[in-house]
Amino acid sequence: MKSFNNRLASIRGAGTVKIVGVIAVAAILFAFPRFVESPYALHMMILFFLSTLMGSSWNIIGGYTGQYSVGHAAYFGTGAYTTMILLTFKDIPPWYGVWAGVAAAVVVALVIGTICFRLRGPYFVLASIAVAEIIRVTALNLTDLTKGAEGILLTDIPPFMIGDTILTDFSSKVPYYYISLVLALLMILVTWLVQNSKLGYYFQAIREDQDAAHSLGINLTIWKNAALVISAVFTSLAGSFYAIFVKFIDPTTVLPLDLSVQIVLISIIGGIGTIFGPVVGALVLVPLSEMLRSNIIAQGLINSGLVSAESATGIFLKEHLAHAHVLIYGILVVIVILFMPEGVLGFFRTIVARKRKGAA
Amino acid sequence: MAILEIRNVSKFFGGLAANSDVSFEVNEGMIMGLIGPNGAGKTTLFNCITGYYPPSKGEVVFDGKRMNGLQPDKVCKLGMARTWQKVRPLAKMTLLDNVMVGALCRTNSLKVAREMAMEQIGVVRLEHKAGFLAGGLPIGERKKLEVARVLATRPKLLLLDEVMGGLNPAESEDIIKLILDIKAQGKITQMVIEHDMKAIMRISDRIVVLNSGEKLAEGEPQEIVNNPEVVAAYLGTE
Repeated sequence: MKSFNNRLASIRGAGTVKIVGVIAVAAILFAFPRFVESPYALHMMILFFLSTLMGSSWNIIGGYTGQYSVGHAAYFGTGAYTTMILLTFKDIPPWYGVWAGVAAAVVVALVIGTICFRLRGPYFVLASIAVAEIIRVTALNLTDLTKGAEGILLTDIPPFMIGDTILTDFSSKVPYYYISLVLALLMILVTWLVQNSKLGYYFQAIREDQDAAHSLGINLTIWKNAALVISAVFTSLAGSFYAIFVKFIDPTTVLPLDLSVQIVLISIIGGIGTIFGPVVGALVLVPLSEMLRSNIIAQGLINSGLVSAESATGIFLKEHLAHAHVLIYGILVVIVILFMPEGVLGFFRTIVARKRKGAA
Repeated sequence: MAILEIRNVSKFFGGLAANSDVSFEVNEGMIMGLIGPNGAGKTTLFNCITGYYPPSKGEVVFDGKRMNGLQPDKVCKLGMARTWQKVRPLAKMTLLDNVMVGALCRTNSLKVAREMAMEQIGVVRLEHKAGFLAGGLPIGERKKLEVARVLATRPKLLLLDEVMGGLNPAESEDIIKLILDIKAQGKITQMVIEHDMKAIMRISDRIVVLNSGEKLAEGEPQEIVNNPEVVAAYLGTE
């Protein structure tokens, strides 16, 4: 009993260190735009926050509750379209439209959840893909509302005002930086709250064994839907943010299967069912996909002298490596999943634990 | 007073009658043994009682309430808890977390749940393993985990499905003591499926024998042992 209490105390101690660490990192991130003005750097940071937000949202339903939804583009797209349609056709500013997007995503989540949660395992995965595809095809064909494949282009955003003071007119990337940072931090906080409440215990019990959970008084329909709604709310916020940030949406950018898979990968690669797994996943995937896309690798190989720029290989790499970024990305993902089944975070945790054991 | 009444319960899977027309009563505070050869329909009957299957015919009345059609989570909230023949630990959660999930059925506070859970872990004497992952525990301790977890849901009626299956004699003895302790406390009625005849004869106040889905006999352990039909069901006839 005593050793158990000691262990509890040491866990709490580690918790304090972690909280201080998170606050320190958050402070640095809040100060970041004061020292770095490069729009490219800010853009990359925004993508990182957005990926963290999406990965962490999925982590609630996929990582904690064990329901592998591969249709999260549905909530992303619902948020993006609701905000965008309200803004362009009804002149409703995005900071109100976002909440309509959240409400719409909750409705979509409850409909999808009520239907799909009757299914388990791979059947649930397939159903979640199917429903997201239905929504994509609907958006493509409801041309009156969504302009179909043409997409919706945003020309200007009204300035964000409280009273008569203009808080921001969205002309630089800085306001987007702060909005995405706050959303990502909020999602991490929500994950922490979930993990340290009845929700977390029930979600994980459902993940480990649905029948056992059911026999212990857990109403599967209610709790699975609760997890999906939390997940959908934040995925929808990510979608709304994306729409306003990029200023253009169409069904192939905010509703495709690729996006659903991408959301799942952030969480799986980082480490599912942990608070910081998706953060690590975003930290790995965002720079990786950017490096592959911008041809940094081919340029690096040439600059390092390994491959001469004039040689056939050099020319070939320069011309084609960037186009193959999806392929290379896929291969890397397979490698991570094969060799780090617990994700990057889990992998490093195991190494640290092993070292500690060796030291003791 | 009867806490559980099984009235003419039948369960059909297609043309197969896994249970047909089974009736008996379980009185408050007693230990009811449920025995029968393999495939007699013992676990099916448990599933019908706890809401995993709706009975095809008949009714299950618990504490004066008709249970037919209630989902397992509702059944648990009403005070009927079951363990599984094949243990179902929540593998990637600790022993304490497992038992807390049971306790959270009665409270929303993690702090209260933790206290309730530690109390039940004490009852099964696994305090030293509270922080261990459930998936890594040996079978004997996983069986005890299941008992602690269902006890934490504060049941009035406990259904134990072969809690001694796969245990060595010392571990079985532990479980038998545990079952008798629970009875001695007098708050929880128990119904036990068991293949170990010596154990079931020792702990049961009454025994129901199932064979091919039908109730073959019911009575006190001594009557059951001397019942020629029961002996024939187990050993065959000449």
